Amino acid sequence: MNGWINPTAVFQIIVAGLIIGAGLPALFSIGVRLNAEGVGVVSHDGAAPQKNPLLNAISWVLFAVVFAAVVIGVLFIARDFIAHNTGLYLLGAPHKK
Amino acid sequence: MIILVLLIATALAFDFTNGFHDTGNAMATSIATGALKPKTAVLLAGVLNLVGAFLSVEVAVTVTTSVLKVQDSKSGHLLPGIDPSMGLTIIFAGLIGGILWNLLTWLFGIPSSSSHALFGGLIGAGLAALGSAGVNWTGVTQKVLIPAIAAPLIAGLVAACGTWLVYRLTQKVIKKRREDGFRWGQIATASLVALSHGTNDAQKTMGVIALALITTGHLTGDVKKDGLPFWIIFSCALAIGLGTYIGGWRVIRTLGKGLVEIKSPQGMAAETSSAAIILLSSHFGYSLSTTHVATGSILGSGVGKPGAEVRWGVAGRMAAAWLITLPSAALVGAVTYFITHLIGGYAGAAVGFLLLVAAAGAIWLQSRKAPIDSSNVNDEWEGSLTAGTSEKAPTAKAESTPAI
Repeated sequence: MNGWINPTAVFQIIVAGLIIGAGLPALFSIGVRLNAEGVGVVSHDGAAPQKNPLLNAISWVLFAVVFAAVVIGVLFIARDFIAHNTGLYLLGAPHKK
Repeated sequence: MIILVLLIATALAFDFTNGFHDTGNAMATSIATGALKPKTAVLLAGVLNLVGAFLSVEVAVTVTTSVLKVQDSKSGHLLPGIDPSMGLTIIFAGLIGGILWNLLTWLFGIPSSSSHALFGGLIGAGLAALGSAGVNWTGVTQKVLIPAIAAPLIAGLVAACGTWLVYRLTQKVIKKRREDGFRWGQIATASLVALSHGTNDAQKTMGVIALALITTGHLTGDVKKDGLPFWIIFSCALAIGLGTYIGGWRVIRTLGKGLVEIKSPQGMAAETSSAAIILLSSHFGYSLSTTHVATGSILGSGVGKPGAEVRWGVAGRMAAAWLITLPSAALVGAVTYFITHLIGGYAGAAVGFLLLVAAAGAIWLQSRKAPIDSSNVNDEWEGSLTAGTSEKAPTAKAESTPAI
């Protein structure tokens, strides 16, 4: 800790923030788009769109990934509580002596 | 003893205004985009704040020690040369400074940081009581000032990138389907912000109460190891949950309608950015103000969307309010300390408390002149918070600040 800011930590927060904070909405967007294509409602040039179950399935996988990230977020918030009450140390919960 | 009871009541009142002031951080975007009905949104946020508060096991002992030099940062015991009554009076006056600043900014619909208001109040009271030596200036710079500048910038950057990507990737999807899809994502990430708010912010009040009890010897033992008495956790959780549920509609309106006209894809990008930055920074051991992060994210989502209008005037007023938050809350804290200390004893504390009630009442009455609630929170933004929301609004706005 020299000086008032820790540039390494700030840099790490920015990079990880971009990966998670911008990456998840991007994944979700791809999901929304594939889902639309899969169900056949993309508003293109009026050509009759076709259904595509595969794209539809991939879109749900992407939604599941985003949902899993939210669940991990909840576990992260609750990690001290879980560690305190069950002895399970998740996601780097600090050990207490 | 009486001052202790008043202090706990004041701390809970602060906790209440904290929840109430910050509902918008998590829910403003979901309310503005119609992902959730206003009442549903505040109920969800309230419940999540309540649950979040119960998830706290450790006290945030750092609230007072990071800005003041009155207590030992490890044990919470008072430093030599400071007697309990002075220590309690400083915390009491600091809390009053925080509450009044929270209420005043709420009246003007400005999303300012509740933690900053509390820090400001404490610094002011500490200065009044002990002079410059009573303030932990390094702590103030490291833990309050620098994060306050960095948080909105980083959150804004992330949200802008997220928003840009989202619009890029979903260009071809018809608008209705896109909006509907993102509503779900938005609710999930906003809930995450509300939950983490409950855990972080309720902890601060619990810390203040625990420290007061340690000071007077009512709480002994190792708080870190044994946890807090249940009634503290319960009452703090209830206060912040209720506060959130009542909803600071004025702040919600500014965040959801005033800064940027927000659509659900932007809402999701903004809330994901907020949640990610808050959780990451806590992982790296920093505690950022939820308000600063959320505001930065919402602004960023306006910058990142092609062709979106960002009302920089509103943002500028907000930034100005952030700058004066610390000094203003400090001033109220200092004045309260002087009044309470000069009168002294029980009478002093009682007078301080009554002044708080009177000022809070005055602010509330002022707010009723142009009320904003769940029914008009989403009305078109016509230049200012209250313009166009009720017939009486234009005249009410012109009248000045309530006296403190």
